[in-house]
Amino acid sequence: MSSPSLTLESPTPAAARKRRLLEILGALAIAGTYIYLVLNQPADITGGPGSASALIALSGFLVGAVLLVVAVLPTLPVSTLVLIPVALVLNIVLGQFVGSTLVPFYLDAIGTVLIAVLAGPAAGAATGALSSIVWSFFNPTVLPFAAGAALIGCLAGLAARHGLFRRFYLAPVAGFLTGIIGGVVSAPIAAFVFGGTSGLATGAIVSAFRSMGDSLLAAITKQALISDPMDKAIVFTLVAVLVYALPRRTRLQFPFVRRHRVLTGQAAGQSAGAATGQGS
Amino acid sequence: MRLHPLTSLAAAGSTAIMTTAAASLPLSLAVIAAVAGLSLAGGVERRMLAAAAGILVPLVASLFFLHGLFFPEGSVVLAHWGPARVTVEGLQFALERSAQLSAAVLVLLLCSFTISVPDLVAALSARGVHARFAFVLASTLTLLPAITTRLARIRQAQEARGLVITRGVFRRMAAFRWQAVPLVLSLVEEAGTRAAALEARGFGATGPRTSYREVTDPPFQRRLRMVLLLAAAAAVALRLWQPTAGA
Repeated sequence: MSSPSLTLESPTPAAARKRRLLEILGALAIAGTYIYLVLNQPADITGGPGSASALIALSGFLVGAVLLVVAVLPTLPVSTLVLIPVALVLNIVLGQFVGSTLVPFYLDAIGTVLIAVLAGPAAGAATGALSSIVWSFFNPTVLPFAAGAALIGCLAGLAARHGLFRRFYLAPVAGFLTGIIGGVVSAPIAAFVFGGTSGLATGAIVSAFRSMGDSLLAAITKQALISDPMDKAIVFTLVAVLVYALPRRTRLQFPFVRRHRVLTGQAAGQSAGAATGQGS
Repeated sequence: MRLHPLTSLAAAGSTAIMTTAAASLPLSLAVIAAVAGLSLAGGVERRMLAAAAGILVPLVASLFFLHGLFFPEGSVVLAHWGPARVTVEGLQFALERSAQLSAAVLVLLLCSFTISVPDLVAALSARGVHARFAFVLASTLTLLPAITTRLARIRQAQEARGLVITRGVFRRMAAFRWQAVPLVLSLVEEAGTRAAALEARGFGATGPRTSYREVTDPPFQRRLRMVLLLAAAAAVALRLWQPTAGA
């Protein structure tokens, strides 16, 4: 659909290198913050609210997410970029509905995972982070989870690239694994910034672990390990249902889907050629 | 005086950061009171109340339930039923954390309810932030109300065709498919059309742009923003310097 412009200059290799550097820095900021928080947590949680950990968690994860957005956003083709608001709206409409009800799930990543499957890991990561940033205009409590959302988008894109959406039964498995990683990474945010979870049902699960004497981070991590894998398995399944229900013409509009043969039922080389001939 | 959108964003952000860093109950309560006064003065109290209740009631209830009943680190026990123990420390922790989170949430909500989105978009693109971020922000904020009405219309249409949501996982999944597929399909289709239109107008181009919308940015507000950001940075630095003070 989008072709390289003939009249406008294309980005230089130096700019590409700078973006690569920003991407790596963003990933390092998120990973470093997580490792620091997990190593330092035992002494800190009883230190009272607003302890240094909350600020480190907030700033480290946010800086990482913003760096990722800055690195990825300018490289996306316009056809992917216009899909990001659509994904954000799907996240918000479906997530706002489930978030406060009595189900220990969130389902707030359907749009992000959809973009990741159609347009790849980089677009998925940018959508996840942007989704949290824009959503925070309505609900500021989702802002700290930007890094976790970016990770979910990136992992969903990688799963799609390696063919996990080609078989219908593999999609929930990929979602389950993504949920484990995403939940473990987001748990310190819930523990240090919020001192708990924002939903009632998830709060009840955390309480159960706390009553057995777990530390707050351990209890929230265990809760995340119960809720998140199931949640992401449901989300990945719903996205698989959606993607296969889209007409072939719409699916093949996306170069990522064509190039990596993300979905079953089309030969890579032949349909890529046919689609570029018709699409660009 | 009308605030530049970036000034109100900076004010809200630095207030949220400073209340988090200070972690003192009186300061959090003062911020909450100030936000309540400002929203009354600005005439947005109804929208604020609805949005804040939707976010904060589950959050605060969950915090009090969690820490009020189960706080293994607490020592002064007020009451206990089986494994649940109400401790002074737990209630204190829940109260402080709730006040602090409410202050941050309210301040940011007030900012997003009083800010003018077109001004914010114009200000962001004028200051060298990539036009793409501004596009995503503005496009989402305008799509959102349109989509909620469209979703209602799709549900009505499908119900007219015989959609009845019944119990059972597979039935629910089928109902989801009936409603979500037309929605996603139309959105993706529209996005494709929009991409072509935007590209034809040089959206992907780099280089200088002109804007129809001029947002005035008085030098006083520019200095104010610098002061606010420095104050927030100082509060964070102070907290990291003395991690346990005031806690």
